[in-house]
Amino acid sequence: MRIITLSYRKIIDISADKQWDKFVFEDSYMEFKMQAQNFSAGTAFTSYGEILRNVPDGQRLTGLITPAVSGYVQQLNGVVPDVLNNSGRRFLKFNRFQLEIINSDIHLKERHQIAINFFTVPQIWHDTIGDLMLVSEFAGTYQSEDEIYTYLLRMQPYLNIHSVKDVS
Amino acid sequence: MERKNFLKSLMIGTVSSSVLIDACKKDAAASATSTTATSGTTTTANGSCSVIQTETEGPFPTKSPALYVRSDITDGRSGYKLTIKIIVNNSNNSCAALENALVDIWHCDAEGNYSEYGGGGMQNTNYTNVHFLRGRQTTDVNGLVTFTSIFPGWYSGRATHIHVHIYNAAGNSLKITQIAFPEGTGTALALVNGYSKGMSGYTPNAADNVFSDGYALEIASVSGNIKDGFELNISMSVPA
Repeated sequence: MRIITLSYRKIIDISADKQWDKFVFEDSYMEFKMQAQNFSAGTAFTSYGEILRNVPDGQRLTGLITPAVSGYVQQLNGVVPDVLNNSGRRFLKFNRFQLEIINSDIHLKERHQIAINFFTVPQIWHDTIGDLMLVSEFAGTYQSEDEIYTYLLRMQPYLNIHSVKDVS
Repeated sequence: MERKNFLKSLMIGTVSSSVLIDACKKDAAASATSTTATSGTTTTANGSCSVIQTETEGPFPTKSPALYVRSDITDGRSGYKLTIKIIVNNSNNSCAALENALVDIWHCDAEGNYSEYGGGGMQNTNYTNVHFLRGRQTTDVNGLVTFTSIFPGWYSGRATHIHVHIYNAAGNSLKITQIAFPEGTGTALALVNGYSKGMSGYTPNAADNVFSDGYALEIASVSGNIKDGFELNISMSVPA
């Protein structure tokens, strides 16, 4: 029996059109702009890449910006956005997230691109049917004769199997 | 109630759906005097009712300020209470009070440690605050922001200080500076005495490299005592 966790990488940039995505884009950009100026002061650097390469501790920016999106992640109530099961519902529960700054610029909002990586609770991977995985939440114990409720999930872009554990 | 569970399960899915609920009939059957208390439907004694509105996909996000936006920045850190009052005025406008400026402050805890140091690691969904002693407020019509915090500790090489970054409302930096503390007998700094660390090895303002370009304008006035807590006041002029 295999226990897996999945990860979903949600990329948000200026083309975001859903309300949640737009809030996250706007607020994370404003926070990047404000925090980055702590690192760029006295330099001519304006882009995230330049700061990362040239300013000591520039990698702290990701942690400094995370509090700007925490409130929005909380509004998801622990369910990964966008990823639907075969019944057309969001169902994957996550218990960790990590913000990732892909690119940004203090002056150029259109360069701002972030990703939020969601890491799911453990799932049992029961079977694979075509390109659909049959999974169920792993509750900590599993008896093979139990009837458990499962979901069919299609492997899709930006969805990854983050970890695997063989349990016999 | 059956109907509530049905609506709740709809909220989880992203599938748009229109819902025609005839709940009042069911309620009328259950109890002749009951009324449905949910939005969009009314029921009368005869059981006629209104159609519930079409449900568009949820969840409905609401604007959520960054976790930094708070006046009390203590975040569970122990130390003597310190009220911080900063007044910002505009040096480009005859020193008139500057309204709607964003003021970020941050400082170390009683042991000399900062939050958010080494950031970028995995973040747990229990949303543990790892940004203690950091906050953001917007100046009011008098240019004032107020924070509730603890008296900072100190760390090797630096005098006790509070970092301040002032932005205009658009997020453009106006000033990055630090607040210095008065030193000497009877001052708050002396009363706090470095918490459990004591003051051995402490770097005073005059020996602090960061303050070597002068700090006369950065010294706050600090009053109070250990029992009642301290209050810090400072006015800052920035070019806005």
